[in-house]
Amino acid sequence: MDIFLERLFDGVTNGAVYAIMALALVVVFRSTGTINFAQGEMALFTTYLAWWLTTVGLPIWAGALAAGATGFLLGAVVERTLIRPIRRRNDMASLIVALGLFTAFNALAGLLWNSETKPMPSLFPAGLEDFFPVAGARLYWDALGVWLVVLALIAGVFFLFNRTRLGLQMRAVADNAESAALSGVPTGRILMLGWGLAGIVGSLAGVLVTPLSATQLSLTTMFPILIYASAAALFGGLDSPVGAVVGGLAIGVLEALITGYVEFIGGTLPQTAALVVIVLILLFRPTGLFGTRQLERL
Amino acid sequence: MTLLSVQNLTAGYGQARVLHGVDLTIEEGEAVVVLGANGAGKTTTMRALAGLIGFGGRVEFEGSPLAGLRPDAVVARGVSLVPQGRGTFPHLTVLENLHVGAALRRDKRGIKEDIERWCGVFPVLAERTGQAAGTLSGGEQQMLAVARALMSRPRLLLCDEPSLGLAPKIVAELFGILATINREQGVSLLLVEQNAELALALAGRVYLLEVGRVIASGTAAEFREDETVRRAYLGY
Amino acid sequence: MTPIHVRTGSAAHRGLQIAGLAAAAGALLLGATMEAFRVGQLTNVMIFAIAISGLNLATGYTGLLSIGHSAFFGLGAYTTGVMVVTYGAAPMTTIPLAVLLCAVLGFVVGLPALRIRGLYLALVTLAVGVAFPEVVRRFEDLTGGAAGLVIRSRQLAPPEWTGLTVPQRGIWLYWVSAAALLITLVLVRNLTRSRLGIAMIATRDNEIAAAASGVRLATVKTTVFGLSGAVTGLAGSLFAMYVGALSPDGSFTLLKSIELITGLFLGGAATLFGPVVGAFAVVYLPYFTADLASGHVSGVIFGAVLIAIVFLMPEGIAGVAGRFLGRFIRIAPHENQGERP
Repeated sequence: MDIFLERLFDGVTNGAVYAIMALALVVVFRSTGTINFAQGEMALFTTYLAWWLTTVGLPIWAGALAAGATGFLLGAVVERTLIRPIRRRNDMASLIVALGLFTAFNALAGLLWNSETKPMPSLFPAGLEDFFPVAGARLYWDALGVWLVVLALIAGVFFLFNRTRLGLQMRAVADNAESAALSGVPTGRILMLGWGLAGIVGSLAGVLVTPLSATQLSLTTMFPILIYASAAALFGGLDSPVGAVVGGLAIGVLEALITGYVEFIGGTLPQTAALVVIVLILLFRPTGLFGTRQLERL
Repeated sequence: MTLLSVQNLTAGYGQARVLHGVDLTIEEGEAVVVLGANGAGKTTTMRALAGLIGFGGRVEFEGSPLAGLRPDAVVARGVSLVPQGRGTFPHLTVLENLHVGAALRRDKRGIKEDIERWCGVFPVLAERTGQAAGTLSGGEQQMLAVARALMSRPRLLLCDEPSLGLAPKIVAELFGILATINREQGVSLLLVEQNAELALALAGRVYLLEVGRVIASGTAAEFREDETVRRAYLGY
Repeated sequence: MTPIHVRTGSAAHRGLQIAGLAAAAGALLLGATMEAFRVGQLTNVMIFAIAISGLNLATGYTGLLSIGHSAFFGLGAYTTGVMVVTYGAAPMTTIPLAVLLCAVLGFVVGLPALRIRGLYLALVTLAVGVAFPEVVRRFEDLTGGAAGLVIRSRQLAPPEWTGLTVPQRGIWLYWVSAAALLITLVLVRNLTRSRLGIAMIATRDNEIAAAASGVRLATVKTTVFGLSGAVTGLAGSLFAMYVGALSPDGSFTLLKSIELITGLFLGGAATLFGPVVGAFAVVYLPYFTADLASGHVSGVIFGAVLIAIVFLMPEGIAGVAGRFLGRFIRIAPHENQGERP
C-alpha cells in the first residue's frame, strides 16, 4: 500500500508538471492554431538561465522569476516576428519554424552552458529527510511544493481566462478572430500575449521539474516532458485548458503506475507508451476528452 | 453633415480586383442600402470599410481618412461591422459576447447600461445571457451579432446581409429593430442586402452596385418607382 | 534576354542530358581519386542524398510532413546490422530486406494519414521517430541495446568478384552509394512524372479538389509513405555499412529527422536535385563549423537556417537555381505532348 501511494505521489508530481506544460501548448494552440514543438526547448533555455543565475549567487526563486520573464519575452517575440508573418501560408511553414526553434534553442543552451548535467537547486526543501509520512508512504516537501505552485498557476490561468477582460479577449480571438477584430480587440497583441503567457507557464514547468528529474538539468531534460505534455494536451483536447490539466495528471499517474507494475514496458519504453496514446487519440477521438473544436480531418 | 464619404474605392483579393471605383456618401443619421447581385462587390465594400482588407481610393469618416487602419482602429473611430454569417463567438456566452463587443470601452457602468438596453431591444437575448452563443438559433445569433456590434457605440453600423438564411418573420423583426435603432438611437446605417423590398422599406437612399461599380443611386422612393429596378430586384 | 527554348526529345535536349551525365560521372571519378577521408565524406553525402530523396517523396511532393524519417533510416541500418552481425549475411544481400521492411513500416505509418493530416500527422510521425531508439534499446538481444551494435570491418569486405580487399571497402562503398543514388534519382524522376506523381502533387496542393478529381487519397498516401520509407531505408542500410557501428542514440534520433528536413528544405523540396544539394550542406556544415564533437554550433546554424529558408527561400537552393537557369534555357515538352503553361 505504501509503495502504491509513493508511486501515486510521484505520478501526481510529474503529472502536475505535464499539466502545466500541456497548458502552455493549449494556450498557444488556442491563439494561433499550431502546436509549438519548440515550447519545451524554449523552457529548457530559460531553465538553464535560472540555473546560471543561481551559480552567480542569486537565489533560485529569483532565477525562476527571471526564467518566467524571459519565457514571456521569447514567446511574444517569436509569435510577432516568426509565426505571424507565415501563419496564413500553411501548416508546414509554422511547423518548420517550430522545428528550427527547437534545434536552435537546444543547441544554444548547449553552446552557452555546455552539455554536462547540472544539479538544479529546488525551490523547496529537497533533502532526503524532508518528508512527512502519509499512511505509511513518504510525501516529500518538494513534491508538495510543486503541487501547490502548479495548483496556484492553474488557478491563475483560469482566473485570467474566465474573470478578466484580457482573458475574455483571448477566448474571443481563439473562437472567432475576425469578429474579435471587428469588436475592437487588437488581435495581434492578444496573440502575442498568448504566446508570452505560454512562455511563462512553460518556463516555470522547467524550473519546477528539473530538480525532481533523475537527469537533473541537461540538454535532454525537456524533450520527454514535451512528449508527455503533447499526449496530455491531445488527451484532454487541444483547445481545452481543463483537459490539459486532467490529461497531464492522468498521463503522470499512468506513467508512474505502468513503469512500476507492468514489466514488459517497465522503464525502457515510457515515451513510446505516451506516443501510442497520442496516435490512438488522434485516430479515434481527435477532439480529446474535453475539446470542442473540430480538428483538421478529412 | 457628411458622416462617411467614399470616393473611387478599389479593393480585391490577391490578383483579383473586385471593386473598380465605388463612390458613395452617408449623411449623419441616414439609413442607406447597397443593392446588387451576387459578386457585385457588396461584401468586399463592407470588408474594405471595416479595415479587414486593404483598399485604394479615398474613404473619410467624419472628415478624417480610414485608409490603413486595422479593424480595431476602425471600431475605435466609430464604425462597426456586422459581418455576413457568423458574427458571434459560438463558445462564449451571450453576455460574454456582448462584453467582447465593448472591448475598447473602459466605462464599466456604461457597458452595463448598454447591455441592459440591448437586452431590452432584443428580448430573446435577455432570456439567454448565460447560454453559449453557438446554441442559439440562426435568428438569435444574428440579433446577438447586431447587439455585439452596437456595444462599441458606433456612429455608423455596417450590416452585411443580415437577412441571410433567416425565416421571413425573423427578418421582419430584425429590420424593425434596425429601423428603431436608426431612428431612436441616432446610429447611421449602411446595409447591404439582396432582399430589396425590405431594404427599400428601411432605407432612405439606395446605391445599386454592379461588377464593382455604382451604376445607379437615388432615394428609396425613386427606386421603387423605377421599372428596371423593380423587375431586376423586386420581381414585379 | 530571351531564353533558349529546348524541346524534350530533341537533339539539343539529349545533348544537354548527356553533358549533365558526363559532368556527374566526371565529378564522381574525380571524387574517387581523393584521399580516403574525402571519399568517406562524399559517400556520406550520397547516403544522405538518398535519405533526403526518400523524405522528399512524402514531404516535398505529397505535402505530408514527416518528423519520423529517422526511424526509417534507423530501421534500414539496423536490419543490415543485425543480418550481418547475427546471421553472417553478406552486406549487399541485406539491402532488399532493409528496403522491404522500411516499405512496410512506411505503409503502416501512412495509414493514419488517411484520417488525419497537417499538424496532427506530423505528431504521428514524431511518435514513430521518438519511439524508434526506445524500441532498439528495449530489444537488446537483437539490437545490442544501448551499448550498440558493431559490425567488424572483415564482415564489410567487398565481394570477391570485385577483387577489392578489406582496406579498400571505402572506395567500394563509394561506388555502391553512387549507383544507389543514381537509381534513386531515376526512380524519383520517373515516379514524379507518372500518374502517381501527378496524384501526389495534386494531393499536396488541394486534397479536396484532388479527391473530387478521382485521386484515391488512401492509395496515394499509403503508397507514398511506403516508397518514401523504402528509399530512406536504403540509405540507412548503406549507412550501416558506412559507419560500421550503430547505437540508438547516435544517428537515429529526432535530430536526424530534423537534419533530413533541413537538408530537404535548404536543398529544395519537390525538386529532383534539391536533396543532393541539401545533403552536401548537412554533411559539410558541422565539418566547417569545426564542431563535430558537441554539435552545438551547427545545431544553432541548422535551426537558424531552417527558419531562414521559410522566410527567404521557400523554394530552396535547387528551386532558386532552377529558376535562374530558366532565364537562359527553357525545356518545353515535345510538341506531341501538348503545351503546358
